[in-house]
Amino acid sequence: MYTSISNRRSFIKKMAILSAMTAAASMFPGIVFAEEQLKDLPSGDLDWKKGPCRFCGVGCGILVGVEKGKAVAVKGDPNCDVNKGLLCVKGYHQIMCVDAKDRLTHALVKKNGTYVKTPINDALDLVASKMKETMENHGKDSVAMYTSGQSTIPEGYVASKLMKGAIGTNNLDCNARLCMASAVAGFLTTFGADEPMGCYEDIDSADYFITWGNNMAEMHPVLFSRMLENKNRRGAKIIDFATRTSRSSMASNKSILFEPQTDLAVANAICYEIINNGWVNKSFVDKHCNFSKGLTNIGYGTEDKFKFKDKATGISFEEYKTFLEDYTPEKVSQYSRVSVKDIKYLAAIYGDPNKKVVSYWCMGMNQHTRGTWMNNLVYNIHLLTGKISQPGNGPFSLTGQPSACGTAREVGTFTHKLPKGVVMNEKHRKLAAKIWKVPYENIPSKPTYHATEMFRAVDRGDIKFIWTQVTNPMVSLPKTKRYTNGMKKDSCFVVVSDVFPTPTSDVADVILPASWHIEKGGLYGNSERRTQYWQKMVEGPGDTTDDAWMTIEVARRMGYGDLFPYSKENHVEEIFEEYRQFHEGAKHGMAPLEVLKKESGAIWPYVDGKSTQWRFNAKYDPACTNGEDFHFYGKPDGKAIIWQRPYEPAAESPDNEYPFWLNTGRVIEHWHTGSMTRRIPVLHKAVPNAYVEMHPDDAKELGFANGENAKVVSRRGTCVLPVSINERGLPTKGQVFVPFFDENMMINDVTLDAFCPISKEPDYKKCAVRVEKV
Amino acid sequence: MKRLVVISLFTLLFAAFIFVWNKSYESGLEDAYISLEVVNDNPLIPSESGVFERSKFALDYAKMPVDKNHQRSLNSYYSNRAYPGAPPSIPHDIKQDNSIGENDCLKCHQNGGFVQKFDAYAPVVPHPKMVNCRQCHVVEKTSKDFKSNSFYKNKPPTVGKNNALLTSPPIIPHQIQMRENCLSCHAGPSAPKEIRVSHPERVNCRQCHVPKNDSAIFKRSSYE
Repeated sequence: MYTSISNRRSFIKKMAILSAMTAAASMFPGIVFAEEQLKDLPSGDLDWKKGPCRFCGVGCGILVGVEKGKAVAVKGDPNCDVNKGLLCVKGYHQIMCVDAKDRLTHALVKKNGTYVKTPINDALDLVASKMKETMENHGKDSVAMYTSGQSTIPEGYVASKLMKGAIGTNNLDCNARLCMASAVAGFLTTFGADEPMGCYEDIDSADYFITWGNNMAEMHPVLFSRMLENKNRRGAKIIDFATRTSRSSMASNKSILFEPQTDLAVANAICYEIINNGWVNKSFVDKHCNFSKGLTNIGYGTEDKFKFKDKATGISFEEYKTFLEDYTPEKVSQYSRVSVKDIKYLAAIYGDPNKKVVSYWCMGMNQHTRGTWMNNLVYNIHLLTGKISQPGNGPFSLTGQPSACGTAREVGTFTHKLPKGVVMNEKHRKLAAKIWKVPYENIPSKPTYHATEMFRAVDRGDIKFIWTQVTNPMVSLPKTKRYTNGMKKDSCFVVVSDVFPTPTSDVADVILPASWHIEKGGLYGNSERRTQYWQKMVEGPGDTTDDAWMTIEVARRMGYGDLFPYSKENHVEEIFEEYRQFHEGAKHGMAPLEVLKKESGAIWPYVDGKSTQWRFNAKYDPACTNGEDFHFYGKPDGKAIIWQRPYEPAAESPDNEYPFWLNTGRVIEHWHTGSMTRRIPVLHKAVPNAYVEMHPDDAKELGFANGENAKVVSRRGTCVLPVSINERGLPTKGQVFVPFFDENMMINDVTLDAFCPISKEPDYKKCAVRVEKV
Repeated sequence: MKRLVVISLFTLLFAAFIFVWNKSYESGLEDAYISLEVVNDNPLIPSESGVFERSKFALDYAKMPVDKNHQRSLNSYYSNRAYPGAPPSIPHDIKQDNSIGENDCLKCHQNGGFVQKFDAYAPVVPHPKMVNCRQCHVVEKTSKDFKSNSFYKNKPPTVGKNNALLTSPPIIPHQIQMRENCLSCHAGPSAPKEIRVSHPERVNCRQCHVPKNDSAIFKRSSYE
């Protein structure tokens, strides 16, 4: 009997089974083998491949089980310090999305209103020629690129090199503007250096975790579980300070609710209490802090071409103290709805020199029309008490996207940024020009459009070509309808690279099929400054290509081939090696590839083969050179700034016509606009659609039953969703909450495109709506 | 003289008090620094945590008769998972959607036991210390997909042929990360009938049953 090699194996197996069965039957008469026992033996072990998780900025290490070229299983990497083997429901099921039937596998070019399947090379030709033609006809500032905090480091790097170095326009921004810009502005204004000083290991030694307007149980579940473990094992306490009762509030030791926007006042009241009770760490403040004030009444940016520049003026401690007199707990409690007792309780925790405190925040503080101020204010608390840059003590700004830090912030895919520094700084431009090998004059010194303004410019007709990668702005921008209509206009040629069809690809002229996470290699950088590398694990279908390579191909077709000499097989590593030169030195040195390949990431500054876990602390950070215990070397004089920032009202507050606050956010099951997670059966089935959460009293008053449809109306638009009462979350009275992942229930048609004038990050958490019967 | 002794005794006591008080205050100020764990480079050896751990009020499996009318099968065990080894979804309604789980889930799933409402034995969780249950386990609210999906669900390991020799103890044919406590799935009335052990009183499972790791055979490294 002839059998091929592979058949022979199964034949031998079957023979073995048969003989075993015969033997067993003779030894134990009457034994019956179940049907499933006759099936083939499992075909050996899975090949487990290491990488970071795709969904969220925590950066958990994952191991993807690959069998016969297909990803079939996921588990947490037990050797990764971030998650120590644990993941969340999104992480465990992430690989399932690549098999969605409507996967974009080929380039699609719009011809006479329909999309025509096109070979990828022809599509890239078209993109390059359109981009070139637009520049020739309308100048280089008529083309733009909009990328993502989910772009890998090489993807962000080549986008920046193409736009800023080769073409010479600053029309490059990314969706991290919608989530992290206020955190960046906060870090830069207070410390002069971006990204958190601490790391996740803080969780294992802090006595208190104070979360400012975020819901970690759902959005950063792996870190929250680590906090819970410390709570249960050694009595650490979690205090949830928020505008809505969430899963995190339920699992915390104490939940304190505040009126939206008054977090500014409460933070100042905490500083007032700290000073008034003599809890200031005087030697720390004297040695390491300056006091400053900025401009006030700074506006909300709702009008086109809004401009604002803050001006810092140094002040004395006495002046700061006088300013705080407007923020006594008694005064603040009147409009913040936080009791005097709770304000004093919070202040006492921060003020107690024997208690270690970590503050965590994410979108609540960042998506805020005074987001930069709010970030400054929390740093004020930690600086006044000296609780910063030590294990278990410090402010920690959490990130939403897997590489919002690694790509958007470190590579700098913002209009004002360069891989190191900003375009406004001549020295930084010169360094970039040197590494990129372009004339220094190529890089323009003036920032152009931030995310919201970029899409306004598309709508106005100022931008005539836009290329979006790894992002879905037609669901995620505030006041989306205006921008969707703008993108539909003939005045702008729209190129969208994505993995799945989305409302953004629906308005595209060319759709490019992108590789998904595990179908390409890359690097991410997570919230704790950890750079993570992974290699391609499986082949993508059809013509799918990784975004970095598509950018390189377009650049070459435009005649910039000399600047992009990378090879297809090795471009990830070649680009990273080039990029690393930007950050050489003790302040931001990055680990070499050999280390990143072996370990589950390394934290920068990576100096002399060691990760720096706590920056600015001389004990851990070799970049501290002032001979003191702490050195805030981001600022020229080595001192951090305590900012005088007042309370100012939101851009739009509830009134008689629109009596409710609208707050938007996420759920644990879905990632951002849901284009990936909704295609994962387990996750979609768990939360199939969006909903509007109402307080039971409000629902009763308006006559809504649970599950009944309601129309949420603002001055911008409407959205119909089922009412949810006492389910996942409970908003305070006078507030409704809607998750934004659902492209069929577009809550961002309702939201307001007001933003923080300093960071230009929109406020998705506050606008005025009414709720109507349908 | 007596007065002197009393005074010096009190001075001594006072000095001791100052000393002890200072010392305890100083130690209170010390950094509670916990050093990084050494990274274990060998991922093939699974963790042993929780292997022997049983809940204080857990059922005494060895003494329980088999309730043939309420047995789970391996089929239903795997149909509730996206792939072998994935966290199972919650196949029943839950009361509180705003809870992370904790005692709401553990009430039934820590110790197991018969639940009248569902006419079934509650499966026992192998990792009861992880209390943010709904971080990984979700309820199914609809049976429809958003877009159809052709994810290939890997076949689970099969029963009855995992022993090397006819009478040798079967090896462990699946990943055991987060499922180090064997008895939670392999013993008691909630265990799928095909994989329920005949000897639940022997809790040192991995004395005889070892995990299957790499299929490669042992080779001596050569010295040149």
